[in-house]
Amino acid sequence: MQWNQTIAEKRISDMKMPDMPITQIKPENSNVPTDWFPQYKKLCREFMRSLSDCVQELALMNLGRDEFMNLLMGRALPDNLSFRFRIPLIWGGKLEIENMFMCFTFPQSQNLDRFIIEQYGNETIWLPNPEKKIYLPIHSTISGNGGNATADRLSQFAATMNTGYAQS
Amino acid sequence: MNQLIESLKKHGAFFAPAVPSSQMTILNMNLQKIHAAMLSIEFIKFYQICGGIKLGNGYIFGPNEFKTGATHPIPSILQINQELTNISTLRGKTVFGRNDLFWFTFDTTGTCAMTDNIGLGILRKYDDIYRAIYECVAGGKI
Repeated sequence: MQWNQTIAEKRISDMKMPDMPITQIKPENSNVPTDWFPQYKKLCREFMRSLSDCVQELALMNLGRDEFMNLLMGRALPDNLSFRFRIPLIWGGKLEIENMFMCFTFPQSQNLDRFIIEQYGNETIWLPNPEKKIYLPIHSTISGNGGNATADRLSQFAATMNTGYAQS
Repeated sequence: MNQLIESLKKHGAFFAPAVPSSQMTILNMNLQKIHAAMLSIEFIKFYQICGGIKLGNGYIFGPNEFKTGATHPIPSILQINQELTNISTLRGKTVFGRNDLFWFTFDTTGTCAMTDNIGLGILRKYDDIYRAIYECVAGGKI
């Protein structure tokens, strides 16, 4: 069944991501470069290194110091995080940082896979397309009973980044 | 099997605890109820040694959900497949693994397959479940 915007928004909201922007595309198969996998791995590392402009989102992810540094240095991806293409390669998406975003694997990335699979075969497909490089669902970004936890985490990360970059 | 585990251990994989065979009988009944494929003998043997694997963003779902740290638990194979009952292409199949690029399924004959994660098109088939398990988790190692 072809989804309209209302159905797509309802479905993504049912998957507990009501704040996820979606965009409609007409899927057309395109050729993927034969060496896409090594290129993809390289791109993932570049993407990780590019996340220094997402400190606010990173601060809300409760990463440990080592996880945070390994991520920003492009060394290792912390637990339960996934890379996703905004437009899949097979539908003409490019192997570029601008075509990627990161989110939690469970439940978000697993549910986003389902969101796309459920539409497969339709003339047009709604794809998740968050504004930033990191998507965190709204319920994980609302702070608790007042407090300044986020500001504290940001200061902590700023100090960690300064130390980490000075060491490297 | 041991070779697979040793190789994945060297790469830093996490292994969930083994599961008794009695639990697999119940799991098979529940998979049957949702029209998914039941576990083959090879999968039952595998889960008796290891109840799931995580390496990077490659996951083999186990009979029980498991946690590797303070993060969201990795759902059980039943939880994963219960959420997929509305996808007609998965009738008679069970999703047993995933990474950021592919899903992995087995069918009622025990044949494993690698599929894409946008339309579940079969990209590769495996007679050897250990080969499929290895490719699923190795694909998650960035």
